[in-house]
Amino acid sequence: MSFRRRIRPSRGGGYELRLATEERDLLAALPLQLISLLDDVGDELPGDLPDALRRLLPPAYTTDPDAEQAYVSLTRKDLVEHHRESLETMSATAKATRLDEEQLMAWLAALNDLRLVLGSMLGVTEEEADPPADNMHQAEWIAYHYLGGLQSELIDILEGELPDPVPGADDQVPDDHWGEPPGDLRWDGTPQPGDR
Amino acid sequence: MRDTTGSTAVPTEVERPETAEVPAPELPWLVIVWNDPINLMTYVTYVFQKLFGYSRAKAHKLMLDVHYKGRAVVSSGPKERAELDVARLHQHGLWATMEHSG
Repeated sequence: MSFRRRIRPSRGGGYELRLATEERDLLAALPLQLISLLDDVGDELPGDLPDALRRLLPPAYTTDPDAEQAYVSLTRKDLVEHHRESLETMSATAKATRLDEEQLMAWLAALNDLRLVLGSMLGVTEEEADPPADNMHQAEWIAYHYLGGLQSELIDILEGELPDPVPGADDQVPDDHWGEPPGDLRWDGTPQPGDR
Repeated sequence: MRDTTGSTAVPTEVERPETAEVPAPELPWLVIVWNDPINLMTYVTYVFQKLFGYSRAKAHKLMLDVHYKGRAVVSSGPKERAELDVARLHQHGLWATMEHSG
């Protein structure tokens, strides 16, 4: 176990990757499994997608099936292609010692995609983000948490490189459109997390 | 539509026409991000800054609303603009929907 950073900006430009062979093997292999799932996706509504993919291809309209079908027709191909390209890039560059900026952004997207699919599969909830006692799917749980740690490192780097905020952008939407939800519940009726 | 070219990507806000001097137009569509237990809080904050040009404080506040209240309005505007924002949020793995504000 080491606390040194695994990804860091490189003096010569780009980003230096310092990963163990086992990590690189995982990062090369996992994206290919997800890509094979994406190969079968067409223009079906999100509700008709396999469970594992629903979180990657969510609905825009929840109460209007016709509008949703139009949205899917308009965006699905690009969205699948976006996921696929990110995953392919991470898999293809998993053994590299250095990434350029575009590749790093692809890693961020691919890590997030993998976490969404793994987390959905494992049934991650706010309360339950650890493996159940029966130790089922131990490898998947380890991968899920590993990917989250690596993604956090990327976010740290990329947040520091964001451009300045756009003047006036903060005023485009009110801070709090609906105000407080009633009764210490969320708007969907579930309890608010207690760690506020 | 791709917006993964990195931190050099200019937030779309910049490309939109300046509307400050005309009367406020109808803003009939709300873009909503829903809570999910998987996306990292830091990631959600990052995406709000990157896509909408929000300050870190604003993005953080919206993220907290998503987390604690279950949903937050992250942008609003005409249907086409809202649909584009939803699509960009979907590309970033966020659970976004849109609905008519009326």
